[in-house]
Amino acid sequence: MAKKLRSKKGAERLSNAIIYVILVIISFIWLVPFAYMLMQSFRGEIGLATSSFFPRKWTFDNYIKLFTETKPFNFLKWYGTTLIIAVVVTVIQTVIVLVTSYALSRLRFKMRKPLMNLMLVLGMFPGFMSMTALYFLLKLMNLTQDFGIVGLIFVYVGSSCMGYYVCKGFFDTIPRSLDEAARIDGASRRMVFFKIILPLAKPIIIYTVLTSFLAPWGEYMFASLITLGNQNNWNVAVGLKEMLQRETAAEYFTRFCAAAVIVSIVPTGLFFMLQRYYVEGVTGGSVKG
Amino acid sequence: MAGLTFKHIYKVYPNGTKAVNDFNMNVEDKEFIVFVGPSGCGKSTTLRMVAGLEDISAGELTIGDLVVNDVEPKDRDIAMVFQNYALYPHMTVYDNIAFGLRLRKVPRDELHKNGKMTREEIHAKVTEAAEILGITEYLGKKPKEMSGGQRQRVSLGRAIVREPKVMLLDEPLSNLDAKLRTQMRSEISKLHKKLNTTFIYVTHDQVEAMTMGTRIVVMKDGYIQQIDTPKNLYNYPGNKFVAGFIGTPQMNFFTGTLKKLGENVEICLAGSSSVITVPYSKLYKVVPTYLDGKTTVCIGLRAEDISIDPEKISNAEALIKVKVSHKEELGNQTLIYGDINMEGDGYGESGTRVIIQADEAEAESGDIIVAALNVDKLHLFDVETERSILPRLPEYNYLDCKVAGGKLLLQGVSISLPPAISCADGEYRLLVPTDAVKIGGDIEAEAISSEKINGKNLVSLNVEGRRMFAVSKEEVPCGKLNISFDLKKISLSNDSGIVVAAMPEKVCMEGYMYKEKVKETAERNGKQKTVTRIAFFLNIGGAVFPAPDKISAKLISAMGVKKAFGGKLRYECSPYDLTFAESGIPAEVLYVADYGAEKFAVCNICGNTAYVRCDGDVSGNVYLMPNIDALSVIQSEMDIRII
Repeated sequence: MAKKLRSKKGAERLSNAIIYVILVIISFIWLVPFAYMLMQSFRGEIGLATSSFFPRKWTFDNYIKLFTETKPFNFLKWYGTTLIIAVVVTVIQTVIVLVTSYALSRLRFKMRKPLMNLMLVLGMFPGFMSMTALYFLLKLMNLTQDFGIVGLIFVYVGSSCMGYYVCKGFFDTIPRSLDEAARIDGASRRMVFFKIILPLAKPIIIYTVLTSFLAPWGEYMFASLITLGNQNNWNVAVGLKEMLQRETAAEYFTRFCAAAVIVSIVPTGLFFMLQRYYVEGVTGGSVKG
Repeated sequence: MAGLTFKHIYKVYPNGTKAVNDFNMNVEDKEFIVFVGPSGCGKSTTLRMVAGLEDISAGELTIGDLVVNDVEPKDRDIAMVFQNYALYPHMTVYDNIAFGLRLRKVPRDELHKNGKMTREEIHAKVTEAAEILGITEYLGKKPKEMSGGQRQRVSLGRAIVREPKVMLLDEPLSNLDAKLRTQMRSEISKLHKKLNTTFIYVTHDQVEAMTMGTRIVVMKDGYIQQIDTPKNLYNYPGNKFVAGFIGTPQMNFFTGTLKKLGENVEICLAGSSSVITVPYSKLYKVVPTYLDGKTTVCIGLRAEDISIDPEKISNAEALIKVKVSHKEELGNQTLIYGDINMEGDGYGESGTRVIIQADEAEAESGDIIVAALNVDKLHLFDVETERSILPRLPEYNYLDCKVAGGKLLLQGVSISLPPAISCADGEYRLLVPTDAVKIGGDIEAEAISSEKINGKNLVSLNVEGRRMFAVSKEEVPCGKLNISFDLKKISLSNDSGIVVAAMPEKVCMEGYMYKEKVKETAERNGKQKTVTRIAFFLNIGGAVFPAPDKISAKLISAMGVKKAFGGKLRYECSPYDLTFAESGIPAEVLYVADYGAEKFAVCNICGNTAYVRCDGDVSGNVYLMPNIDALSVIQSEMDIRII
């Protein structure tokens, strides 16, 4: 008996060791590009390719120039544009997702199931399939180039309600008897939503905010197409890509890396702050104690 | 403070499942009503319909004097306690209780300028409720910091601050452990006395039902099985289901036959060689057709009515041999499981398994013991319908009679028959409904006893040595009195079948509802204009009548817009609600039934036979006009009573 127990412990140790080795390798692979980017952003010497991982000359210039030199690349402007788009989209999208999910979770109406399935299937098609059509539609409304920001917000917000799935799953775990108790207490549907459901849905609201913020924050494809030609309306992704054109790449590569670091600060910070809720939100349905 | 009336309440789901079927009940003010039944019997659905959380498919629900079918939950003046407490987790106990009060609208006056209750008023109410329930010290806590019992108390507090007319409790104790449940049970009973309001309580636990309810509604498969006080349910179950559901251990059920031999009835139990003889006087109410010694019946006897006490055995009227299979020690008593069939094993539920309640038992597994049966407590049920054949309130008197020369001869009583009841001279079996026996008349009888059952008086009569029963609304003193029969309701039969049938109490007709565009001239802005509107019509037995809004609206709400039209309807009314008229439902008079005091024309309406009150002689083709307000409408396909 004792022998068996020891051997079980040994096997456990071995399998743990293997798992950790694999995890370390994976995280190394994941972290190297980021570390490289971070190092390059502090590099003093000019040029695209260097033979060393660590900079030979450390400097903070890349960051300073990024914000002080506005010609030819106005990073601060792009950053502002991206932030505006992301914040506006986050607000609108969160509201739409929450309201849609509540309706799909609590109200029973004709075609509810088919509608849910349709949204799910539509969501499976990649968004860029509609790129050309969207471009022409926006052009008709004059929402490209100069008004590209508005156009982009439209595009990002347009399919918001399709993200109802996780959120609805969370609402489904809130007992319906709470709604019923509140309705007997005299609350209208609207009051039930704002006074009972929303306070309980904090994790899923944060999850929705995070996902809605991240999507437009790093989006490139639509942004490049719709704001084509108007530098002022570029977001960071389009702008930074422009930095690495053949003519400018060598000179601006280190600055590009510095910009990338700054861009990643906001989502990383948000994520760390809200991480606790995020996990609760994603797993809310499955592990409710 | 108010009573409730359920009038033909149905719950039908869109897929056609009927969760609640023809629920009829009157709840008096301040009653404690318990709905009890196995899962899926419709008890919670009924409660939720009262709360307004579930739509009522058909029927009418009244709280106080108000029909509440289409009233919002918050305006029904009810409060509800849920099984899972349904406390708002993000609010403190205080806020949970105050939530409803803060939303409540009160008449605007000096004190309540914004139409809401003031902070002080709310505070006073919340603290009062908290004191009643003993949760004052928890007011600042969140629900998740409290135990189940405390949470349920908060939930009760939230309900009582609403000062509802009706308190609804949906299995409030199911999530609590056994000890807490017993404690909360008595607390809820205490609360009921204190609040002095109507309670409706749903549970699947028959102990809860028995201990708390003033009246219990036993339900199964969406149908009401029986409504009665706990004691009556226990002593006089109306069918086998109620008998088996109420009481632990479960009632013993045996199959067997009954045979009347002179003044005794012999009971043979299947699988047992023991024969039990019971004096007929104890089984007067048994429907005689079951006493033929051939019809299998179900015999029920509770565990405490079977005894192995030597004293009882020596005095017992009936004894039976039991083979013991195993025992369950409960401390204060022992349950002996056995089988009256010497080959049976006593474990599975069968027609021979028997459970005996004893103070202590020395019998061991495999022993054969003798047990005494308390035949006063016998329960008898039909095997097929499971209905009691020893009803507390018998429906019929079964008598043997002779007909000779237009007279009905009942052992010393002679009744002259009206022309409507004519049959060849001979011997017949006479069926007289108990409510057709009227006090007052020319037949001499003696009232032996009178008991009050469910608001009616059952009078035992001795008519020339025969036992008869009469049901009357007034109390009847014991002693000599005269009776008469309502001859419309009696029927005569012999071996070849029914010879004279009772007059049907209802006239049935068939038809459907349809809609049609009608053009009307209406005045608008001073001009005559032709307006088209959709009108609903009822086809009753081939004639068309405009459908009253009451009927059309209810039919549409019950069946949905699509199915409401064209579906077959059955109309029912009493023979007094049809009159002869110049136009209306075409009918053919077959003959006139003359009951002496009243005459009825027997008519054929599209294949249905209808009795219509008439004064003189009528014949040939006539038209009938129904009193549409008195009409009951039944959707035939789904068997839903619309009105």
